[in-house]
Amino acid sequence: MKPNFVQKITNWGNFPVVEKEMKSDDSVSKIKQFVRENNEVIARGNGRCYGDASLGEHIFSTKRLNKFISFDRINGIIECESGVLLSEVLEVSVPQGYFLYVTPGTKFVSVGGAIASDVHGKNHHAEGCFSEYVTEFKLLNENSEVITCSREENPDKFWATIGGMGLTGIILSAKFKLKNIESAYIRQESIKAENLDEVFRLFDESEDWTYNVAWIDCFQKGKDLGRSILMRGEHALKAELPSNLQKKSLKLKEKFKPTVPFYFPGFVLNAFTIKIFNFLYYNKQTKKQLNNFIDYETFFYPLDIINDWNKIYGKSGFIQYQMVIPKNNGKEGMRQILDTIAKSGNGSFLAVLKLFGKDNPLAYNSFPKEGYTLALDFKVNKGLKKLVDKLDTIVENFGGRIYLTKDSMSKSSLTNYLQNVNSSKFVSLQHKRIINNH
Amino acid sequence: MIVLGSNSEVAQAFVEECLAKGEKFSIVYLLSSNPETTEKFAGHLQVKFLQNSEIIPLDLMKEIDYKTLENINSDLLFCATGYLGLGTEEGLYDDENTAQIIDINYAKLVPVLNFFAKKMESKRNGAMIVLSSVAGERGRQSNFIYGSAKAGLTAYLSGLRNYLFDKKVQVLTVKPGFMETKMTEGLPLNPALTATPKKAAAGIYKAYKNKKDVAYVLPIWAIIMMIIRNIPEFIFKKLKL
Repeated sequence: MKPNFVQKITNWGNFPVVEKEMKSDDSVSKIKQFVRENNEVIARGNGRCYGDASLGEHIFSTKRLNKFISFDRINGIIECESGVLLSEVLEVSVPQGYFLYVTPGTKFVSVGGAIASDVHGKNHHAEGCFSEYVTEFKLLNENSEVITCSREENPDKFWATIGGMGLTGIILSAKFKLKNIESAYIRQESIKAENLDEVFRLFDESEDWTYNVAWIDCFQKGKDLGRSILMRGEHALKAELPSNLQKKSLKLKEKFKPTVPFYFPGFVLNAFTIKIFNFLYYNKQTKKQLNNFIDYETFFYPLDIINDWNKIYGKSGFIQYQMVIPKNNGKEGMRQILDTIAKSGNGSFLAVLKLFGKDNPLAYNSFPKEGYTLALDFKVNKGLKKLVDKLDTIVENFGGRIYLTKDSMSKSSLTNYLQNVNSSKFVSLQHKRIINNH
Repeated sequence: MIVLGSNSEVAQAFVEECLAKGEKFSIVYLLSSNPETTEKFAGHLQVKFLQNSEIIPLDLMKEIDYKTLENINSDLLFCATGYLGLGTEEGLYDDENTAQIIDINYAKLVPVLNFFAKKMESKRNGAMIVLSSVAGERGRQSNFIYGSAKAGLTAYLSGLRNYLFDKKVQVLTVKPGFMETKMTEGLPLNPALTATPKKAAAGIYKAYKNKKDVAYVLPIWAIIMMIIRNIPEFIFKKLKL
């Protein structure tokens, strides 16, 4: 058996599937050698992005860069290699009273991926993107040198790399700040909104909450368009917790995690079953408003509880579609988008709406801009490209753009926004597609 | 805890598994043929588990100074030391390769295992977990130097287990099948037969706690090896395995 590093690789959406070379090592000299010997290299973390991001001709997987380096427990600063997952950071930090300042909707992303995508979370309006809390990282650049990047040292590379989708090099390790928490629980309020106007109003009213997000039922039309549940939350203080949770406020019980055992046949998830799910989800909460305490996993990572949930979309896979539309005309844009989706019948199982806050102008490659963002899942089928084209046109008309971490087929005019990332050394399939179509 | 072959991904995953399951060690001794590489793991243990460790250089291909090992005491030893070397096609008549495979997997390893077995024997307490290989179950044309060295190790462990049984020392022989490690990267391994280091570590830990004698990392390998063992020799010799 001779090594042959070509293998089938795909991201979380199982679309597209490519056959490319992939290597992984934990020795810096070996990684340098790989970068020297190849062109069109791209780093890949845990493959939790969608579409063709992090895929390339020569993929370097950071899965063996999985070690912690240091943890300053007094100031809450942690340093680790780039392949460490946010879930692993939380395992270490939560018992010590620290949480991630910014987390996306899954904890199974790598630290390197979180920087390259400059991920955002339910607190974007209040606390910004992941990069706000990154103090420095080590980057293997196109000359195969390891450089330290921070706001003071190599700031050009620092800012180009943030949200730069791996096109500036391979992030080897990073140092970032953590947030103090008193408990592993969230004080949550869930409020049902009958339509889009109501949920927009709720977002405005919830501006002072650290976390807010809305789940939206995209099958609703007409006066029910935008029917949703807005969830807002704060890290619970120890004193406000119910007494049974107070004793071990930083420790969560281990939960049973079911696994999706195989790819579901294509017919399982269709407009009908999604409608039933949406109906149940919306009506599970009988009251207009529900206030409770829930653990951070349920609040931030509701899907992580099911291993391999992507398999329910079947073997053909699915895409995520996430756009942002600037706030000034965002409401009308969202209305048109939801209307288009409802009419297409291509309903999304999970649709998440959020109002982004102001962006950090220094992080010019970061996706978020002040305005409304909607993230949708669509199963890959024949009609999908047409729907994406329609949605793209609306996004374009309203001056919005697409999140690269989830893009697989959008118009390049909506995705061609990265700057200072052009080298022949680090190239992803996504970047090539965008450049070639432009 | 004593770890032999501390740069092995399975060994590291096993240490983490023990600590994650709440095992307490006053110190983890990391014996390593490449101590500089091991430093990263030592730091990782400190951050992740507040676990102290000490790195001790141990190169089986050099003269072993047993004085450096004298003060190392623990009731748990995990040995992942091993060397795949070149297979038959590239390395059968390369004597240096052959000697190295036999030395690291068997000849030079056994005295070190004996050294620690003696300590546990005198304390009448302990467990030794040693990675052997399914390759040691039957010599196959593709890598029988490695296979025969591992067969020797497996036989040694079986005898050691027998000898130490009365002395309250557990000896667990682990026979991993395919594992997703740096050693096997790029090989076309069937995913259904391949375990990640993390999964392997969890399985080994369970076998250790259940006082098992011999463990395969994935149960399917017990079946595969039973079949391989039972193929009559006059057929086996004709197979291309």
